[in-house]
Amino acid sequence: MIPIAPRQRFPLLVTGVAAMFLGLFLVYPLWKVFGASFFDGSGTHFTLRNYLRLATSSFYRSSVLNSLTIGALATLAATALAVPFAVAVARIEFRDNAALVALASLPLVLPSFVSAYALVLLFGRAGVVTRAAQGLGIPLGSIYGAPGIILVYAFTLFPYVLLPTIAGLKAIDQSLEEAAQNLGASRLRVLSTVTLPLAFPAILSGALLVFIDTLENFGVPFVLAEDKPILAVEAFKLFVGETGQNPAAAGVLGVMLVLCTSLVLLLQRRYLGRRRFATAARQPPPPFDVSPAVRLLATLYCWSVVALALIPFVAAVVVSFLEFRGPVLHFHASLGNFAELWRRAARPLENTLLLSLLAAVATVVLGVPIGYAVTRFRSPLTGLLDILATIPFAVAGTVLGIGFILAFNAGPLVLTGGWLIMVLAYTVRKLPFGVRAASAILHQIDPSLEEASISLGVSPLMTFLRLTVPLMLGGIVGGMVLTWVTVASELSSTIVLYSGPWQTLTVVMFQALEGTGAGTAAAAASLLIVLTLLPVALIFRLLRRYELSMM
Amino acid sequence: MTTISIEGVSRSFGTLAAVRSVSLTVENGELFTLLGPSGCGKTTLLRMIAGFCDLDSGTIRFDGEPIDRLPPHRRNIGMVFQNFAVFPNLTAAGNVAYGLRARGIAAAEIERRVAQALRLVHLDGMSERWPHQLSGGQLQRVAIARAVVIEPRVLLLDEPLSNLDAKLRVEMRGEIRGLVKSLAITAVYVTHDQEEALAMSDRIAVMRAGVIEQVAPPAVIYRHPATVFVAEFMGTTNLLAGVVRRHEGEIVIVSASGHEFAIANRRPLGAALQFSLRPEALRLIDARDAVPAEWHRLSARLGRIELLGALARFEAVVGDGLRLQVAVLDAPLEALTQGSDITLAYDPRRVTVFATP
Repeated sequence: MIPIAPRQRFPLLVTGVAAMFLGLFLVYPLWKVFGASFFDGSGTHFTLRNYLRLATSSFYRSSVLNSLTIGALATLAATALAVPFAVAVARIEFRDNAALVALASLPLVLPSFVSAYALVLLFGRAGVVTRAAQGLGIPLGSIYGAPGIILVYAFTLFPYVLLPTIAGLKAIDQSLEEAAQNLGASRLRVLSTVTLPLAFPAILSGALLVFIDTLENFGVPFVLAEDKPILAVEAFKLFVGETGQNPAAAGVLGVMLVLCTSLVLLLQRRYLGRRRFATAARQPPPPFDVSPAVRLLATLYCWSVVALALIPFVAAVVVSFLEFRGPVLHFHASLGNFAELWRRAARPLENTLLLSLLAAVATVVLGVPIGYAVTRFRSPLTGLLDILATIPFAVAGTVLGIGFILAFNAGPLVLTGGWLIMVLAYTVRKLPFGVRAASAILHQIDPSLEEASISLGVSPLMTFLRLTVPLMLGGIVGGMVLTWVTVASELSSTIVLYSGPWQTLTVVMFQALEGTGAGTAAAAASLLIVLTLLPVALIFRLLRRYELSMM
Repeated sequence: MTTISIEGVSRSFGTLAAVRSVSLTVENGELFTLLGPSGCGKTTLLRMIAGFCDLDSGTIRFDGEPIDRLPPHRRNIGMVFQNFAVFPNLTAAGNVAYGLRARGIAAAEIERRVAQALRLVHLDGMSERWPHQLSGGQLQRVAIARAVVIEPRVLLLDEPLSNLDAKLRVEMRGEIRGLVKSLAITAVYVTHDQEEALAMSDRIAVMRAGVIEQVAPPAVIYRHPATVFVAEFMGTTNLLAGVVRRHEGEIVIVSASGHEFAIANRRPLGAALQFSLRPEALRLIDARDAVPAEWHRLSARLGRIELLGALARFEAVVGDGLRLQVAVLDAPLEALTQGSDITLAYDPRRVTVFATP
């Protein structure tokens, strides 16, 4: 036996635990999905017929095509919205840039299918605006299908591009732009030949996040797609199918979905791995000296984007306080929707709070040590761990849910029908974010602090617990709240995995959408919005105070 | 009170051999410096002693007992880091108390020793300050107090002055040496600054590419460098190559770059050799000045002049193009103009000869 140096024990332990966890709750379920797609109905004979059927069915072929085209167009739209916004925020001094960015990032934590639902409430067949327009004789185009989906994606996902691009633009050293100007380049030329190319890796990494999110999103196409087949939705429909379950076909679509997302993720890693423009800005470039007209235009643009992104959420809240008769809205203020919601959703609300809390804690407990091992102990082993912890990102919630059912419905480990299976699925799904958040904070804590503690006689484990964790605390709490919030509005794996008493708020909303409970759905949506915004606002204040005390 | 023996220690990172079979002994109570350019392996060697870097082969002993398998937190070593590594979430006193708390020492005793350590580094009255309220120099003092308060067997200092400004650096190096000597602690100091190494150390090990080139006290390292690398690394020098032409008593006359140089050496006729002549060994004299009989004279023209305050450096062009670096303290600057004829003289015993590789 090769003796293991003490310094390698910690990463080895973490990698072992993480590999076991992800092996059991990620790789194994995925393997089951993969397997289902290669076997016939009896589950014993290997066959390619499932794939053949996909290739010959124009319906399923178009589901792949639709997912990819809608994803690509939405990504382009989100990027087009975000880049000018980022340049404006990074380089023009508005009255309150910080507030603008904070508001612009809100759609990231708000449930996107609520935005889609609000769009239906406003512009749908029975929508408020549609009916008003009909009354005035103005014809309105349909928002169902691709246009509506792309619109919702663009306005809810653009912050994925906005935030890294702002960071990228601020990381450019002033001297580079000055050098370009000094060499005779005009302001616009500098922007197009130096500034934007240097920010390009950041833009691209954000755009790819958007693309992956559109591929795996379940709620938005479910609300808006109508007859248009979309991968994530069709996989779900085939799996729970009204005409009997078809795990094989669901498996095929699931495999296609995972294939697409993994490919994008792989492309991103390869491209960005080769292109690092880290210029370690000693001095970020100064704000542009712009004319009042340009400043006004930029201000208008940014605030319009933020307003358009947030209006659907506001509308959902407003509508929830109006009276519904069946699907038809009447303009009377009423708390009826909430009374109905309370009758139906007291327990689901409790479930949502509890399950997302458990998942958030599990994500932190697992994610922080993984982030620590990956950041502090660089080796082939932790490199592998890093990749392993990124995989959940490429797995659509629906597919993971299907895999969980296939894997844990029978056999040695039966989890279906309970709450644990949901918490496990959430934890797996959010793990990449937990790991990313942890390593982002760790990058800002100098490793020599830990070495100082160890050399003073505190063991590595105690150093981690007594020094590193307290130093990371602000970030950990922030990451935990964000996980909590995003799990609370999780729909895609919940919808596959929930059972009996373990309905969540999103399930209630989903069911109300399917049936005639438009009012209940609106009430559930606004409750979700409040549930999301409250903790986020809270940590914003808390974190700011914490950071000030550490300064 | 510890003697450190490093025996045949090696470490590679991938294909890069960072430390190659290094052996040396640091005596009890000695302030020992590892000196070399960046990437020479000095920091790796220090981190091996601290336990933050594993050994591929070899052994490190404290007083004969091997410590290289001991985890770093059980080695009882005080370490001062380049960026100070003062815990931002603890006060100055909290930082200094950190290692004592880890050792489970009674609160009253901790308080007494923390106060004493802070007094030692002239930070009395600052104990309740937070790190962000302290200057760079004060942070450095906290880091030193924190490292020595645990009464470590060995004190390690990893370029502790490189983050301070020039004036403070000179001040602190004297202070650190005074402190280490008064505590009579065995200390290993890493730096790339040769002046710092010469000023502070009892002995210096000059490293290059993972290998030790020379271990000696500062005066020997400077005056009698063992290799060309050491000669060039320890300040400016004139490095020349030549062949022995004739013997004159205890002195050989060497022809180098078409000129004759006198060297106190006994190489046979025709032997090729490389030698170093320090700029300050060359004296600027008046042509009529008397110098000791065995000194060697050179006529030259004055080239570029560089005034460094007390010291002036200039180039002496000998014959048709050999340029020698000369350093003169308190030079008669007004009388010197570029192109004027000058006379230089040096003591042949001040020339260091290297074996030609």
